[in-house]
Amino acid sequence: MRSLNWQKKLGRDGHRVKFSGRPVAMHCHHYNINLQKTLEDTLGEQGVQLVYRSSEEAILEDFKSILGQYDSIKSDKSKFEMAGLMFQNSGMGIIRVEALGPDGGLFVSPSNHHVTGWLAKHGRRPTPGCHFVRGWIAGILEAIYDRTVGYYTVEEQECKMVRDGDCVFVVKVAQYGD
Amino acid sequence: MAIDGNKIIHAVMEGSRIRESKGIIPLFGVYLSIFSTRYYNNLSFEFEKMLKGRKSEAEALLVRAAQECGYATFQGVRNSWEWEEIVKPMIDRKEDQIEGFSAVAFAFGWGDLKVRKLIPGETLVIRATGSYEASGYLEKYERAQSGKCYMLRGVTGALMDLLYGKEYPEGCFTFSAHEHLCRAKGDEYCEFIAQKSPD
Repeated sequence: MRSLNWQKKLGRDGHRVKFSGRPVAMHCHHYNINLQKTLEDTLGEQGVQLVYRSSEEAILEDFKSILGQYDSIKSDKSKFEMAGLMFQNSGMGIIRVEALGPDGGLFVSPSNHHVTGWLAKHGRRPTPGCHFVRGWIAGILEAIYDRTVGYYTVEEQECKMVRDGDCVFVVKVAQYGD
Repeated sequence: MAIDGNKIIHAVMEGSRIRESKGIIPLFGVYLSIFSTRYYNNLSFEFEKMLKGRKSEAEALLVRAAQECGYATFQGVRNSWEWEEIVKPMIDRKEDQIEGFSAVAFAFGWGDLKVRKLIPGETLVIRATGSYEASGYLEKYERAQSGKCYMLRGVTGALMDLLYGKEYPEGCFTFSAHEHLCRAKGDEYCEFIAQKSPD
Protein backbone atom coordinates (compact mmCIF):
# COMPACT_ATOMS: atom_id res chain seq x y z
CA MET A 1 0.00 0.00 0.00
CA ARG A 2 1.34 3.41 -0.95
CA SER A 3 1.04 5.14 2.39
CA LEU A 4 -0.26 8.62 2.94
CA ASN A 5 2.60 11.03 3.55
CA TRP A 6 1.10 13.25 6.20
CA GLN A 7 4.17 15.47 6.54
CA LYS A 8 3.97 16.29 2.86
CA LYS A 9 0.20 16.56 2.59
CA LEU A 10 -0.32 19.04 5.43
CA GLY A 11 0.98 22.38 4.29
CA ARG A 12 0.37 26.09 4.06
CA ASP A 13 -0.52 28.54 1.36
CA GLY A 14 0.04 31.82 3.19
CA HIS A 15 -2.61 32.08 5.88
CA ARG A 16 -4.45 29.02 4.58
CA VAL A 17 -3.76 25.57 5.91
CA LYS A 18 -4.34 22.82 3.39
CA PHE A 19 -4.45 19.09 3.50
CA SER A 20 -3.87 17.43 0.17
CA GLY A 21 -4.72 20.74 -1.47
CA ARG A 22 -8.06 21.16 0.31
CA PRO A 23 -8.67 23.93 2.85
CA VAL A 24 -8.69 22.91 6.49
CA ALA A 25 -8.60 24.80 9.77
CA MET A 26 -7.23 23.91 13.15
CA HIS A 27 -9.70 24.20 15.98
CA CYS A 28 -9.53 23.07 19.55
CA HIS A 29 -11.96 21.05 21.65
CA HIS A 30 -13.45 24.21 23.14
CA TYR A 31 -14.79 25.34 19.78
CA ASN A 32 -15.78 21.91 18.47
CA ILE A 33 -17.68 21.05 21.61
CA ASN A 34 -19.20 24.51 22.01
CA LEU A 35 -20.57 24.32 18.47
CA GLN A 36 -22.01 20.84 19.01
CA LYS A 37 -23.61 21.84 22.30
CA THR A 38 -25.05 25.06 20.87
CA LEU A 39 -26.64 23.16 18.00
CA GLU A 40 -27.97 20.36 20.18
CA ASP A 41 -29.35 22.72 22.82
CA THR A 42 -31.01 24.98 20.27
CA LEU A 43 -32.27 22.56 17.63
CA GLY A 44 -32.41 19.18 19.39
CA GLU A 45 -32.42 16.27 16.92
CA GLN A 46 -32.15 18.68 13.97
CA GLY A 47 -28.92 20.02 15.48
CA VAL A 48 -27.58 16.48 15.87
CA GLN A 49 -28.41 15.84 12.21
CA LEU A 50 -26.69 19.04 11.16
CA VAL A 51 -23.42 17.99 12.82
CA TYR A 52 -23.72 14.47 11.34
CA ARG A 53 -24.55 15.64 7.81
CA SER A 54 -21.94 18.43 7.74
CA SER A 55 -19.21 15.99 8.76
CA GLU A 56 -20.42 13.39 6.26
CA GLU A 57 -20.55 15.83 3.32
CA ALA A 58 -17.16 17.38 4.06
CA ILE A 59 -15.23 14.12 4.43
CA LEU A 60 -16.98 12.43 1.52
CA GLU A 61 -15.75 15.11 -0.85
CA ASP A 62 -12.26 15.30 0.68
CA PHE A 63 -11.71 11.57 0.86
CA LYS A 64 -12.92 10.99 -2.69
CA SER A 65 -10.31 13.46 -3.85
CA ILE A 66 -7.62 11.76 -1.76
CA LEU A 67 -8.55 8.29 -3.02
CA GLY A 68 -8.21 9.65 -6.55
CA GLN A 69 -4.56 10.40 -5.78
CA TYR A 70 -3.91 6.89 -4.42
CA ASP A 71 -5.37 4.61 -7.06
CA SER A 72 -2.89 1.86 -6.18
CA ILE A 73 -4.86 1.25 -2.98
CA LYS A 74 -7.32 -1.38 -4.07
CA SER A 75 -8.86 -3.17 -1.13
CA ASP A 76 -11.70 -1.61 0.84
CA LYS A 77 -9.94 -2.43 4.08
CA SER A 78 -6.75 -0.66 2.97
CA LYS A 79 -8.80 2.35 1.97
CA PHE A 80 -10.41 2.46 5.38
CA GLU A 81 -7.03 2.03 7.04
CA MET A 82 -5.81 5.09 5.16
CA ALA A 83 -8.89 6.97 6.35
CA GLY A 84 -8.12 5.84 9.91
CA LEU A 85 -4.61 7.20 9.54
CA MET A 86 -6.06 10.52 8.40
CA PHE A 87 -8.42 10.52 11.37
CA GLN A 88 -5.50 9.97 13.72
CA ASN A 89 -3.24 12.50 12.06
CA SER A 90 -6.01 15.11 12.17
CA GLY A 91 -6.09 14.75 15.94
CA MET A 92 -9.55 13.17 15.74
CA GLY A 93 -8.52 10.01 17.57
CA ILE A 94 -8.27 6.32 16.83
CA ILE A 95 -10.75 4.32 14.81
CA ARG A 96 -10.50 0.69 13.78
CA VAL A 97 -12.53 -1.48 11.51
CA GLU A 98 -14.06 -4.70 12.83
CA ALA A 99 -16.18 -5.50 9.78
CA LEU A 100 -16.53 -3.73 6.44
CA GLY A 101 -18.43 -4.31 3.23
CA PRO A 102 -20.62 -2.51 0.70
CA ASP A 103 -23.61 -3.05 2.98
CA GLY A 104 -22.00 -1.46 6.01
CA GLY A 105 -19.79 -2.52 8.87
CA LEU A 106 -18.74 -2.25 12.47
CA PHE A 107 -16.21 0.27 13.78
CA VAL A 108 -14.67 0.87 17.17
CA SER A 109 -13.07 4.03 18.49
CA PRO A 110 -11.19 3.57 21.75
CA SER A 111 -10.49 7.31 21.94
CA ASN A 112 -11.45 10.40 20.01
CA HIS A 113 -11.23 14.18 20.11
CA HIS A 114 -14.93 14.74 20.70
CA VAL A 115 -15.07 12.32 23.64
CA THR A 116 -11.97 13.84 25.24
CA GLY A 117 -13.31 17.35 24.64
CA TRP A 118 -16.85 16.67 25.81
CA LEU A 119 -15.77 14.91 29.00
CA ALA A 120 -13.25 17.68 29.77
CA LYS A 121 -15.87 20.40 29.36
CA HIS A 122 -19.16 18.81 30.40
CA GLY A 123 -18.49 15.40 31.92
CA ARG A 124 -20.69 12.39 31.30
CA ARG A 125 -23.81 12.75 29.17
CA PRO A 126 -26.92 10.55 29.13
CA THR A 127 -26.92 9.73 25.41
CA PRO A 128 -24.20 8.90 22.85
CA GLY A 129 -22.66 12.07 21.46
CA CYS A 130 -20.14 11.26 18.71
CA HIS A 131 -22.29 12.76 15.95
CA PHE A 132 -19.25 14.10 14.14
CA VAL A 133 -17.62 10.65 14.08
CA ARG A 134 -20.85 9.00 12.87
CA GLY A 135 -20.99 11.43 9.95
CA TRP A 136 -17.31 10.93 9.27
CA ILE A 137 -17.70 7.14 9.04
CA ALA A 138 -20.72 7.49 6.72
CA GLY A 139 -18.79 9.86 4.42
CA ILE A 140 -15.71 7.62 4.32
CA LEU A 141 -17.76 4.55 3.36
CA GLU A 142 -19.67 6.53 0.75
CA ALA A 143 -16.33 7.58 -0.75
CA ILE A 144 -14.95 4.02 -0.68
CA TYR A 145 -18.06 2.49 -2.30
CA ASP A 146 -18.77 5.46 -4.56
CA ARG A 147 -22.14 6.29 -3.03
CA THR A 148 -23.88 9.61 -2.48
CA VAL A 149 -24.53 11.44 0.80
CA GLY A 150 -27.17 9.68 2.88
CA TYR A 151 -26.57 6.21 1.43
CA TYR A 152 -25.42 4.86 4.78
CA THR A 153 -26.77 5.40 8.24
CA VAL A 154 -24.50 5.15 11.26
CA GLU A 155 -25.68 4.35 14.74
CA GLU A 156 -23.49 4.73 17.80
CA GLN A 157 -24.37 1.75 19.99
CA GLU A 158 -21.86 2.45 22.75
CA CYS A 159 -20.20 5.74 23.62
CA LYS A 160 -17.44 6.78 25.99
CA MET A 161 -19.37 10.00 26.66
CA VAL A 162 -21.87 7.85 28.55
CA ARG A 163 -18.95 5.97 30.10
CA ASP A 164 -19.04 2.86 27.92
CA GLY A 165 -15.63 1.26 27.38
CA ASP A 166 -15.32 2.23 23.70
CA CYS A 167 -17.38 4.02 21.10
CA VAL A 168 -18.98 1.42 18.83
CA PHE A 169 -20.54 2.32 15.49
CA VAL A 170 -22.78 0.15 13.34
CA VAL A 171 -23.23 1.11 9.70
CA LYS A 172 -26.13 0.00 7.54
CA VAL A 173 -27.56 0.97 4.18
CA ALA A 174 -30.16 3.61 4.90
CA GLN A 175 -33.75 2.59 4.39
CA TYR A 176 -36.41 4.97 3.15
CA GLY A 177 -37.37 7.18 6.08
CA ASP A 178 -34.06 6.88 7.97
CA MET B 1 10.72 43.16 20.62
CA ALA B 2 8.24 42.65 17.80
CA ILE B 3 6.33 39.39 17.66
CA ASP B 4 7.85 37.04 15.10
CA GLY B 5 4.79 35.30 13.66
CA ASN B 6 6.94 32.86 11.70
CA LYS B 7 8.26 31.29 14.88
CA ILE B 8 4.68 30.73 16.07
CA ILE B 9 3.57 29.30 12.72
CA HIS B 10 6.55 26.98 12.75
CA ALA B 11 5.69 25.80 16.27
CA VAL B 12 2.06 25.12 15.29
CA MET B 13 2.92 23.31 12.07
CA GLU B 14 5.53 21.16 13.78
CA GLY B 15 3.46 20.63 16.92
CA SER B 16 0.38 19.65 14.93
CA ARG B 17 2.36 16.74 13.53
CA ILE B 18 2.86 15.27 16.98
CA ARG B 19 0.19 12.86 18.14
CA GLU B 20 0.05 11.00 21.35
CA SER B 21 -0.97 7.36 21.30
CA LYS B 22 -4.70 8.15 21.45
CA GLY B 23 -4.60 10.18 18.23
CA ILE B 24 -5.10 13.46 20.07
CA ILE B 25 -3.00 16.56 19.37
CA PRO B 26 -2.21 18.34 22.63
CA LEU B 27 -0.76 21.71 21.64
CA PHE B 28 -0.64 25.16 23.23
CA GLY B 29 -2.64 23.85 26.19
CA VAL B 30 -5.61 22.61 24.13
CA TYR B 31 -6.60 19.50 22.17
CA LEU B 32 -6.24 20.46 18.55
CA SER B 33 -8.02 19.00 15.53
CA ILE B 34 -7.62 19.59 11.81
CA PHE B 35 -10.68 19.42 9.59
CA SER B 36 -12.29 20.84 6.48
CA THR B 37 -13.35 24.48 6.63
CA ARG B 38 -16.46 23.40 4.72
CA TYR B 39 -17.62 21.54 7.82
CA TYR B 40 -17.39 24.60 10.05
CA ASN B 41 -19.00 26.88 7.50
CA ASN B 42 -21.85 24.46 6.90
CA LEU B 43 -22.55 24.23 10.63
CA SER B 44 -22.71 27.99 11.04
CA PHE B 45 -24.57 29.03 7.93
CA GLU B 46 -27.05 26.15 7.87
CA PHE B 47 -27.75 26.68 11.58
CA GLU B 48 -28.54 30.30 10.78
CA LYS B 49 -30.79 29.20 7.92
CA MET B 50 -32.61 26.65 10.09
CA LEU B 51 -33.44 29.31 12.66
CA LYS B 52 -34.98 31.43 9.85
CA GLY B 53 -36.95 34.15 11.62
CA ARG B 54 -34.57 34.00 14.59
CA LYS B 55 -31.52 35.10 12.58
CA SER B 56 -30.18 37.45 15.23
CA GLU B 57 -30.52 34.69 17.84
CA ALA B 58 -28.51 32.31 15.64
CA GLU B 59 -25.88 34.97 15.11
CA ALA B 60 -25.66 35.72 18.84
CA LEU B 61 -25.36 32.01 19.71
CA LEU B 62 -22.59 31.42 17.19
CA VAL B 63 -20.64 34.48 18.31
CA ARG B 64 -21.13 33.49 21.94
CA ALA B 65 -19.88 29.94 21.29
CA ALA B 66 -16.81 31.37 19.58
CA GLN B 67 -16.16 33.97 22.27
CA GLU B 68 -16.29 31.37 25.05
CA CYS B 69 -14.01 29.18 22.99
CA GLY B 70 -11.58 32.00 22.21
CA TYR B 71 -11.50 32.95 25.88
CA ALA B 72 -10.69 29.40 27.04
CA THR B 73 -8.44 28.60 24.09
CA PHE B 74 -6.19 31.63 24.35
CA GLN B 75 -6.06 31.34 28.13
CA GLY B 76 -4.79 27.80 27.52
CA VAL B 77 -2.42 29.11 24.86
CA ARG B 78 -0.86 31.75 27.10
CA ASN B 79 -0.43 29.27 29.94
CA SER B 80 1.18 26.63 27.75
CA TRP B 81 4.84 25.74 27.79
CA GLU B 82 4.97 26.53 24.05
CA TRP B 83 3.88 30.12 24.77
CA GLU B 84 6.39 30.35 27.62
CA GLU B 85 9.21 29.11 25.42
CA ILE B 86 8.39 30.63 22.05
CA VAL B 87 6.16 33.66 22.46
CA LYS B 88 6.83 35.11 25.90
CA PRO B 89 10.43 36.08 25.11
CA MET B 90 9.02 38.33 22.32
CA ILE B 91 6.53 40.09 24.59
CA ASP B 92 7.57 43.40 26.11
CA ARG B 93 4.20 44.74 27.22
CA LYS B 94 0.76 43.33 27.92
CA GLU B 95 -0.64 44.54 24.58
CA ASP B 96 1.91 42.46 22.65
CA GLN B 97 -0.07 39.38 23.68
CA ILE B 98 -2.71 40.29 21.08
CA GLU B 99 -0.08 40.15 18.33
CA GLY B 100 0.93 36.74 19.66
CA PHE B 101 -2.69 35.54 19.68
CA SER B 102 -3.19 36.82 16.11
CA ALA B 103 -0.14 34.88 14.98
CA VAL B 104 -1.58 31.72 16.56
CA ALA B 105 -4.91 32.34 14.75
CA PHE B 106 -3.00 32.80 11.48
CA ALA B 107 -1.14 29.55 12.12
CA PHE B 108 -4.44 27.75 12.76
CA GLY B 109 -5.66 28.81 9.29
CA TRP B 110 -8.35 31.22 10.48
CA GLY B 111 -7.14 34.12 8.31
CA ASP B 112 -4.48 36.79 8.28
CA LEU B 113 -5.31 38.91 11.33
CA LYS B 114 -3.74 42.32 11.82
CA VAL B 115 -4.24 44.63 14.77
CA ARG B 116 -5.26 48.00 13.30
CA LYS B 117 -5.94 49.84 16.52
CA LEU B 118 -5.70 49.10 20.21
CA ILE B 119 -6.75 51.50 22.93
CA PRO B 120 -5.91 49.63 26.13
CA GLY B 121 -9.02 48.71 28.06
CA GLU B 122 -11.30 50.32 25.48
CA THR B 123 -11.13 49.34 21.84
CA LEU B 124 -9.55 46.73 19.61
CA VAL B 125 -9.83 46.82 15.83
CA ILE B 126 -8.73 43.70 13.97
CA ARG B 127 -8.62 43.40 10.20
CA ALA B 128 -8.75 39.97 8.62
CA THR B 129 -7.90 39.07 5.07
CA GLY B 130 -8.76 35.59 3.89
CA SER B 131 -11.18 34.68 6.68
CA TYR B 132 -12.33 31.15 5.82
CA GLU B 133 -15.83 32.05 6.96
CA ALA B 134 -16.22 34.87 4.44
CA SER B 135 -14.63 32.73 1.70
CA GLY B 136 -16.93 29.81 2.51
CA TYR B 137 -20.02 31.99 2.54
CA LEU B 138 -19.20 33.47 -0.87
CA GLU B 139 -18.63 30.02 -2.36
CA LYS B 140 -22.04 28.72 -1.36
CA TYR B 141 -24.44 31.63 -1.04
CA GLU B 142 -25.26 34.96 -2.61
CA ARG B 143 -23.64 38.10 -1.30
CA ALA B 144 -24.52 38.62 2.35
CA GLN B 145 -26.37 41.58 3.83
CA SER B 146 -24.38 41.44 7.07
CA GLY B 147 -21.05 40.16 8.40
CA LYS B 148 -20.65 36.37 8.41
CA CYS B 149 -17.42 35.79 10.32
CA TYR B 150 -19.02 34.75 13.59
CA MET B 151 -16.01 32.82 14.83
CA LEU B 152 -13.54 35.66 14.31
CA ARG B 153 -16.00 38.15 15.75
CA GLY B 154 -16.30 36.14 18.96
CA VAL B 155 -12.56 35.65 19.13
CA THR B 156 -11.95 39.41 18.82
CA GLY B 157 -14.13 40.02 21.88
CA ALA B 158 -12.37 37.21 23.73
CA LEU B 159 -8.94 38.71 23.18
CA MET B 160 -10.03 41.92 24.91
CA ASP B 161 -11.71 39.90 27.69
CA LEU B 162 -8.42 38.15 28.39
CA LEU B 163 -6.39 41.34 28.50
CA TYR B 164 -8.76 43.75 30.19
CA GLY B 165 -11.60 41.72 31.70
CA LYS B 166 -11.69 40.36 35.24
CA GLU B 167 -9.25 37.61 36.05
CA TYR B 168 -9.90 34.30 34.26
CA PRO B 169 -12.50 32.75 34.29
CA GLU B 170 -14.63 35.71 35.42
CA GLY B 171 -13.98 38.08 32.52
CA CYS B 172 -15.68 36.48 29.52
CA PHE B 173 -18.14 38.78 27.68
CA THR B 174 -16.77 41.95 29.32
CA PHE B 175 -16.23 43.01 25.71
CA SER B 176 -18.23 42.34 22.60
CA ALA B 177 -17.33 42.78 18.97
CA HIS B 178 -19.14 43.61 15.80
CA GLU B 179 -18.05 43.09 12.23
CA HIS B 180 -18.61 46.30 10.35
CA LEU B 181 -16.80 45.19 7.19
CA CYS B 182 -16.96 41.69 5.70
CA ARG B 183 -15.87 40.20 2.39
CA ALA B 184 -19.07 38.15 2.37
CA LYS B 185 -21.00 41.40 1.83
CA GLY B 186 -18.60 42.75 -0.75
CA ASP B 187 -16.05 44.61 1.36
CA GLU B 188 -12.38 44.27 0.55
CA TYR B 189 -11.58 42.69 3.90
CA CYS B 190 -13.26 41.84 7.18
CA GLU B 191 -12.90 44.13 10.17
CA PHE B 192 -13.97 43.67 13.77
CA ILE B 193 -14.32 46.25 16.52
CA ALA B 194 -14.40 45.10 20.14
CA GLN B 195 -15.59 47.45 22.85
CA LYS B 196 -16.95 47.16 26.38
CA SER B 197 -20.25 45.27 26.42
CA PRO B 198 -23.25 47.31 27.51
CA ASP B 199 -24.13 46.72 31.20
